[in-house]
Amino acid sequence: MIEWIIQSKESLKLIYAFIIILSCFVIVIKTNKLFKLSEHQGIRYFRNAFFFYGIGFFIRYFFDLKYFIFNKNYHVLTTFIFEYFLIMGGFFLLYSLLWKKIESAGEEYFTSLINSKVLVFYLMAFVIVGLDCIWKTFYFMFFSQIILFAILILISYNNYTLKGSKGKFLKFYLIAMIFSFIAWVLNFLAALTFAWNPGILITIYLLNIIIFLFFAAGVVRITK
Amino acid sequence: MPKKRERLEVIKDILRAIRETRSIKPTRLLYASNLSPQMFKEYINELISKKFINIDIDNKEKKTFSLTKKGQDFLQEYKIIEDFVDNFGL
Repeated sequence: MIEWIIQSKESLKLIYAFIIILSCFVIVIKTNKLFKLSEHQGIRYFRNAFFFYGIGFFIRYFFDLKYFIFNKNYHVLTTFIFEYFLIMGGFFLLYSLLWKKIESAGEEYFTSLINSKVLVFYLMAFVIVGLDCIWKTFYFMFFSQIILFAILILISYNNYTLKGSKGKFLKFYLIAMIFSFIAWVLNFLAALTFAWNPGILITIYLLNIIIFLFFAAGVVRITK
Repeated sequence: MPKKRERLEVIKDILRAIRETRSIKPTRLLYASNLSPQMFKEYINELISKKFINIDIDNKEKKTFSLTKKGQDFLQEYKIIEDFVDNFGL
């Protein structure tokens, strides 16, 4: 089985990316409609998170196909753009849960994706990608995402225990955050000690598919 | 002790109070919203800036509030919006 997966890894990667991009697309379309109706900032940041994830995966897997690669620099560029969008997706997801404690009612937006508070995240993501770029590694991204998802687990656990009766998806949200945390830890271990072991990578891909499908199903179910 | 209303719920209450009378004077809306004058002002400014309500001024300089199409749509879809916010902890 693993042999077959390794042999067909390029096609499977595309299917993997397609599932995640489609999930993000559905989430962004549905939540954008809801945001336009409500102007609710939490919905705005939630939508932005999946917008960034979707764009990131699109660039990584469809702009980085073998026939697009003219030189090694192009691959390096798409990898770091992917990293930037992935980090921003995580930051927006965190901010969607924290914005009430941080923002005032009359927050000014430069665009729907940028205000003065969120600008800090753009800069932080830039610094993290920059450090990875300088040291030719992914460890800064891994560390940042492991810490970020540990915080997200705590917040979503808190939401689940306090408001679990109000929202049934809060339980799945917590599970998705735990899966994300595990996926990032596995990513880190795969890079550090297991030389990108295919078995670990397949587990990460499966976890990612489950996470994005969880969210897409939750959004579709609630907004139908 | 009564539970503190969520922001979304306050907005719904204000918009519903406006919808019930089609157009409503500021003082009556303040009573109906059950907010402090300061909070009321903040919410009204936000609702006007987000184009959920209009402020109409007649010949005698009297102000009234009315719902916009966007405000009506919000009330219609309120349950879905509330469910979404609750389910995703937003």
